Amino acid sequence: MISPTVLEVLFVGIAVALAGLIVARPELTRVRGGKILAFVTLFVLPVLGGWLGFSEHMERAESTRFCLSCHVMHDFGQSLYVDDPSYIPARHFQNNLVPRDHACYTCHTDYTMFGTMHSKFRGLRHLYVQYLGTPPAPADIKLYTAFNNRECLHCHAGMRVFEEQPKHNKTPDMMAKINSNQMSCMASKCHDTVHEVGTLKDATFWKGAQ
Amino acid sequence: MSTTSVVRPPAIERRVRLAGVLVCLGLLIQLLTLIRIHPLAFVAFILIGCPLVAAGLILYLSSIVSHAEGRGETGQPI
Repeated sequence: MISPTVLEVLFVGIAVALAGLIVARPELTRVRGGKILAFVTLFVLPVLGGWLGFSEHMERAESTRFCLSCHVMHDFGQSLYVDDPSYIPARHFQNNLVPRDHACYTCHTDYTMFGTMHSKFRGLRHLYVQYLGTPPAPADIKLYTAFNNRECLHCHAGMRVFEEQPKHNKTPDMMAKINSNQMSCMASKCHDTVHEVGTLKDATFWKGAQ
Repeated sequence: MSTTSVVRPPAIERRVRLAGVLVCLGLLIQLLTLIRIHPLAFVAFILIGCPLVAAGLILYLSSIVSHAEGRGETGQPI
């Protein structure tokens, strides 16, 4: 099976070759067939190629590899391998509870109508800070706003093991508070061990997926 | 005694050629950005590849529109 990236490369490669033909022999455009070729080569193919490339880059921007390609994110990548199930990201990553190749994006996008777009804009801001600003130390990196339960509930809502968990039903209204984000999954001291990159030097790591 | 003369290609062909060069360069840069998964590859795609392709595209379209205008409604050169 040919991957979409290979198809995109082939498509753009053909477009480049045809554009090269027009550059080398512009007199081809004197005849009707040449005019059509020029229109396809200099308008249709570049627009399609640009759209395909943009879509490919958008898809790549959701990959774990993309997020961890900045040096400042290295420790956050390491935290996914901590050999301790109380680390929420590590537990999800190591047990395939999130897709490993989209681990960061799965939890850190907003599951709203324009959530993907907001995530991309946040990413552009991160790029600006990484290359034109002063990136903070990994341990000083904080979320812009408190983590919304909505992101957890995107997967957990309706799960029997989640809804029947005694710890989630200590009081009759506890589940309602969790569902309405009045009681945070993390800030309420229930699942408050997250990346903890400041403590990684003392941690042991799982070697399984490396 | 022979004489040689250099015939300049028509203006539209020069503009189409330039448009082709811009599109070619833009597409090549877009192609190169697909090699690595990195934020800078995305930036190069958006800030270099796309503008070059867009410039070529606009130049091509403007050249065929201005050429059509120059020929008048009858299709004959004015």
